[in-house]
Amino acid sequence: MAEKPKIAICWLASCAGCDEAVVDLNEALLDVAAGVEIELWPVATDFKYEHLESMADEELALGVLHGAVRNSEQEEIAKLMRAKSKVILAFGSCACFGGTAGLANFRTRDDIMNWVYLDSPTVVNPEGNLPRTESLVDGKSLTLPEFYDHVYALDQIINIDYYLPGCPPPPDLILNGINAVISGDLPPRGSSLAPRTALCDTCTRNRTKPERLEIKAVKRIHEIEADPEVCFLAQGVICLGFATRTGCGETCIRVNTPCRGCFGPVPGVSDSGAKALSALSCLVKAGEYGDPRKLMESIDDPAGYVYRFSQPSSILGRKRRAENV
Amino acid sequence: MEAFDPKVVCFSCDFGWGYVSGHEALAPRMENWIPVTCSSKVDSVFILEAFEKGADGVLILGCPEGRCHFEDGNFRTEKKVYLLQEVLQAYGIEKERLRMVLSNDSGGERIPELVGEMKQALIKLGPIKKG
Repeated sequence: MAEKPKIAICWLASCAGCDEAVVDLNEALLDVAAGVEIELWPVATDFKYEHLESMADEELALGVLHGAVRNSEQEEIAKLMRAKSKVILAFGSCACFGGTAGLANFRTRDDIMNWVYLDSPTVVNPEGNLPRTESLVDGKSLTLPEFYDHVYALDQIINIDYYLPGCPPPPDLILNGINAVISGDLPPRGSSLAPRTALCDTCTRNRTKPERLEIKAVKRIHEIEADPEVCFLAQGVICLGFATRTGCGETCIRVNTPCRGCFGPVPGVSDSGAKALSALSCLVKAGEYGDPRKLMESIDDPAGYVYRFSQPSSILGRKRRAENV
Repeated sequence: MEAFDPKVVCFSCDFGWGYVSGHEALAPRMENWIPVTCSSKVDSVFILEAFEKGADGVLILGCPEGRCHFEDGNFRTEKKVYLLQEVLQAYGIEKERLRMVLSNDSGGERIPELVGEMKQALIKLGPIKKG
């Protein structure tokens, strides 16, 4: 009997929601598990990195990585997985674009350290200790990974074969993606394993959009009782569906919550946040003249809003670590 | 030490700026000048990419209030500029590095003057800080 393909699933700077999404395959997970050999999955199985290190290069048919990269341990694991995997799938918004963890790039490393370990009102740290990569305790050396000054999307650390966006990716796309890798029926390398159109194209509320769409007053979702059938933009709520790839199954929309952009840009767009800003400057207070600050200040924290999932891959935020492999 | 010579990318609307002189006559006097059919043609991506590629400042010249050929393109751009200034500040870039002027000059003589004024302001700010 032919050997089963080997796969590994590993987390980096991740909340484990992506692992949860794999578990959400329910019964289908049993079929996947029967068809493959799971070599590493820290959330679900006992493992040691040594096991992965002992494997031959490209021995894994598929390496699934979720989470962004913020410290040296995550970089090391990402590179190890790259070496041992024929195909690397960047799984979820954090791996694909940097994700919500990437919002930390709007603060410096020192700001974060000072707040978390020194200045936050609930912290008691009279000696002002900060995490160090190496500490001597009773003559023994204890080490911690280095906390980088930047959050990286996965393709800024290692080369990626396929992307599956979403926070988290939905079960149907996960299953399609895993099956495509196992069967070898794959699109060109570098593709996203998600549809190519924008969310508005598949949104059931699209038909309620008025012919000339304009936002007279920007409302946040908790400030109104949103009509569950009507386009959010027509109700004055900023929904990022027009600048976001579809494929999520409209899970947020269906629970009356506007799109926040977790599926990232549509093909051909590098920075969905910038495109969203361009669109908002036309939609909000369309045709009204006057002080732009007065017209637009009701959009709270525009940078945080449009780059909620994509700061590290945005035009001004993108960086690559020098030793990309 | 070499004096800081800021790089300014200037977008100007053809309907209000330099249409009598024409591009050929004005272009030799300006670096990084991009005439456009309306200031609202300047997508956010172009502005952010200008900064990414090394601009110290971006200047957008639109038409005066009520004089936009397309009705409100200049105001759309003003709103875009305001949002982008907020975004630039979030990235640690001073909002003064993105400037919009609503006026017109058919001969286009003021385009290099306004670029020069912006350069003076940028010299005071110094080179852009790379994150």
